[in-house]
Amino acid sequence: MPGRETGADEVVVDGRRRDRHTAEGGRSDAGGCVPSTRTVSAVVSPGFGARRRWAVVAGLVALLAGLPSLIGAIPASDRDVPAADLRSAVLASDMVAFSGYAESAGGLALPVTDQLASVADLFSDRTLMRVWWRGPADNRVDVVTPTGEISTHRDATGTWTWEYESATATRGALGPLELPAPLDLLPSALGRRLLSEAADGELSRIGARRVAGRDGLGLRLSPVDQASSVSRVDVWVDGDSGVPLQVQVYGEDARRPALDTRFLDLELAAPGPEVTAFSPPAGAVVREDRGVDLVEAAQQVTGPGLPLTLAGLDRRPMEGLPRGLGVYGRGVTLLAVVPAPGRLTEELRRALGASPGAVVDELGVRASIGPLGLMVVDRPGGRAYVLTGSVTLDALAAAAAEMPELGGRP
Amino acid sequence: MILVELRKMFRRPRTWATITVLNSLPVLVAVLLVLTDLAPRPGEGPPFLSAVLSNGALYPLAALAIVLPLFLPIAVAVVAGDSVAGEAQAGTLRYLLARPVGRTRLLVAKLVAVLAFVLVTVVVVAAVGYVVGTTMFDAQPVAGGTSVSGTSLTPDEISGRTLLAIGYVAVSMLGVAAFALFFSTLTDSPLGATMGALAVLVASSLLFTLDAASPIAPYLPTRYWLAFVDLFRDPILWRDITRGLALQGVYVGVLLVAAWANFTTKDVTS
Amino acid sequence: MTTVIATSGLVKRYGRVRAVDGIDLGVQQGDIYGFLGANGSGKTTTVRMLLGLVLPTSGEIELLGERMPRAGRRVLHRVGALIEGPAHYGHLSGRENLSLLDASGRGGSWRTRSRRVAAALEQVGLGGVGRRPVKAYSMGMRQRLGLAGALLRRPELLVLDEPTNGLDPQGISEVRELLLDLHRDGTTVFLSSHLLAEVEQLCTRVGVLDRGRLVLQDRLATLTAPTGSTVVHTSDPDRVRAALDGRVTSVEGERVIVRGDDPAEVNARLVAAGVPVHGLALERPSLEAVVLAAAGASPDRVDVRR
Repeated sequence: MPGRETGADEVVVDGRRRDRHTAEGGRSDAGGCVPSTRTVSAVVSPGFGARRRWAVVAGLVALLAGLPSLIGAIPASDRDVPAADLRSAVLASDMVAFSGYAESAGGLALPVTDQLASVADLFSDRTLMRVWWRGPADNRVDVVTPTGEISTHRDATGTWTWEYESATATRGALGPLELPAPLDLLPSALGRRLLSEAADGELSRIGARRVAGRDGLGLRLSPVDQASSVSRVDVWVDGDSGVPLQVQVYGEDARRPALDTRFLDLELAAPGPEVTAFSPPAGAVVREDRGVDLVEAAQQVTGPGLPLTLAGLDRRPMEGLPRGLGVYGRGVTLLAVVPAPGRLTEELRRALGASPGAVVDELGVRASIGPLGLMVVDRPGGRAYVLTGSVTLDALAAAAAEMPELGGRP
Repeated sequence: MILVELRKMFRRPRTWATITVLNSLPVLVAVLLVLTDLAPRPGEGPPFLSAVLSNGALYPLAALAIVLPLFLPIAVAVVAGDSVAGEAQAGTLRYLLARPVGRTRLLVAKLVAVLAFVLVTVVVVAAVGYVVGTTMFDAQPVAGGTSVSGTSLTPDEISGRTLLAIGYVAVSMLGVAAFALFFSTLTDSPLGATMGALAVLVASSLLFTLDAASPIAPYLPTRYWLAFVDLFRDPILWRDITRGLALQGVYVGVLLVAAWANFTTKDVTS
Repeated sequence: MTTVIATSGLVKRYGRVRAVDGIDLGVQQGDIYGFLGANGSGKTTTVRMLLGLVLPTSGEIELLGERMPRAGRRVLHRVGALIEGPAHYGHLSGRENLSLLDASGRGGSWRTRSRRVAAALEQVGLGGVGRRPVKAYSMGMRQRLGLAGALLRRPELLVLDEPTNGLDPQGISEVRELLLDLHRDGTTVFLSSHLLAEVEQLCTRVGVLDRGRLVLQDRLATLTAPTGSTVVHTSDPDRVRAALDGRVTSVEGERVIVRGDDPAEVNARLVAAGVPVHGLALERPSLEAVVLAAAGASPDRVDVRR
């Protein structure tokens, strides 16, 4: 072939020289992110630039991911307050005005009956609540759901309950016995209630933790009653105001609270009166609350009343309670005895019997859901009773056996 | 460059087709509601839908709530997923970069164009919702309306809060847009980028319902989407709104930086 | 004479494959540079590296005297490019496409934009194309539109990858005339192609790429310079051999190669010997022969490994 030789002086034929060159480049790359000194200014290696840029990304992600735990790691400062003083501060805090946002999480899957569904939801679910507190007789609690809310406005003579999705306003009178309401789940109200009857010997201090951006001083209540199914209650109290910030109720399982309620936000300033006031809006359905069925049933009870003690717990004197209805115990160990209408009993017994760990014997059906014991005592011909409270299954059985109307030992 | 991207976005027939399809669902729902007069039962169906029968002025919100869970994010994912990968697939990306357009500038312009799309879409859905609501249902323009908390709101309050809600819904879509944009720089297939973003959404919605995932729930991109309802509580519950805004901001920031890191060091071989 | 494109030791690796394996390009101002190579030899990757689309693994690139890809923003608007076929937004008209492309880059006032667009369309023969969307264009029209895009800003350097793809013979000749016109006005042209004939007709310099390596780079005139032999067409090759004893290097049918770079002298001696001569010419190697000699087998071939 002609032509190869011609102009050979100018033809650049790729040869050995370049081989050396590329071998160098190859080496510098194989060596990692540090190119050889000769090429460092010249190389715009995507590997190098990319690594640096991705490092920026990784750093940013790490910073953002770490931020919450960094904030969470801010230590709470403890104060040297004796347990008894802290309890007094809590009990005196019901006049402290505040507004806040609270979350309660209950592991209590109550056997649901239609009538008590709203109560069961309160204990089994995660409930988000907004609260404006001007005082025990002037406050408002909104249970916030993703698509609506149920707000309860308390005034001096009763409550207004507004349900957005059905556009219904319900006026409720104050009764002697009320079913648990969202208000009762607020750390402030629950903490006060649980500590109200605690003996000094049951209380101890347990350090501090940060709740809702405040320093919560820990107060532990370990009930001494044998019948109690509650192993302990931890209350974290705002040191300045005495308002409980978080309440954790533990059953037998000491690691996971059966009920955990805490403030997410808390502002210790009095909300305006216009926030707690309520008047039904135009176009709303306005209803009057008929009261609780349970009380009605209890009023029909005749014959011998309930005994003064059940399962070693004393009956509590309560004003205005029908004689067929009794509440026993003290502090966090409580047992309620309620005569139940037959329809409700059937439903409840079926639901109870289906719950895990249910005991069925000649006394009735009983089961415990977390620290809550529930029992349906029902004999043919006799009146059905529902026993429930923060007591053990054994205590429930003992109480059932002591009930006079059921043919137990007098 | 931003103007150029906006021109491209809104001169594209597909953009308007998407917006039209997006509006058809709320209109269909409104027609069905009027024909059957069957409002969803309390606690079911999209927020505000049951309130619409008594006050048509709330229909923009119901329309947003209808398209928010699925239609809107899909539309945003399609458009944002197409932004870079679509240019790559069509081959126009190489001409843009050789024009030259700085890669970072192109990325920012694309994001702004997607933002504009989100905003226009949300506003159009709300506007169509308003027209549909006031013509097909009883409107109460003078009496105002009722807040979720049962207090009365003046018409001014209602319209002000509706505007806030429109803005919030638009911001809620930014996270999706950022995911799709990031994936769009990873692949030359617009469909792949869109699917990637939708996969993130589906995973997020699924994890949100799962108790075991509750520790990461506050960081899921869809976590605070429904918080626009909080604007209609009285007083307004700002907690989830501010968190939703911050979360979207974080997602946009991180993903934009990741998209930048990837796109500026990437070989354009399409 | 200034250097317009210079690379040294340019390498691009994809994983373990070296798509471009250390090439040193040199394109001078005023060149029409033909960048030849088989499909898959690394031409497109090199072009993309020149334009900052693909980032080199190592090596340096200088474009119009500035370091790429860092200086892309300062340099690229002086470069017009057609890379691997045209690409446009199909739903917009050609005019709108060019207008968008023009608006994307820096510089170029919007007041003169429509004038620039019209001029570019005119240049490529699409002056009267109207408002048809690009998706209704023929392949050749798209190619012309792509070329118009490259010409929008009157670039100093045109980087064209297969610019005559999809054009009919008239179109090809039109594009060739256009490029020659632009070249006369001072535009440097870097033409990447696998069509030897196209390069041979247009280019002043040639680079040949084979499997990522630049195996040949020289002036076309030098590559196809006379070899020092003369080609004699005759009906009687044997008598040529007899007349010019020892100077005949090869005989192929009626074509005889004779050493000696003076056809007149060869002719005189043959005529003197009474040999019938149909034609005489200085021997020049064809570009094809040069390229084939420099490059190996097509990289498309996948032979069985032993």
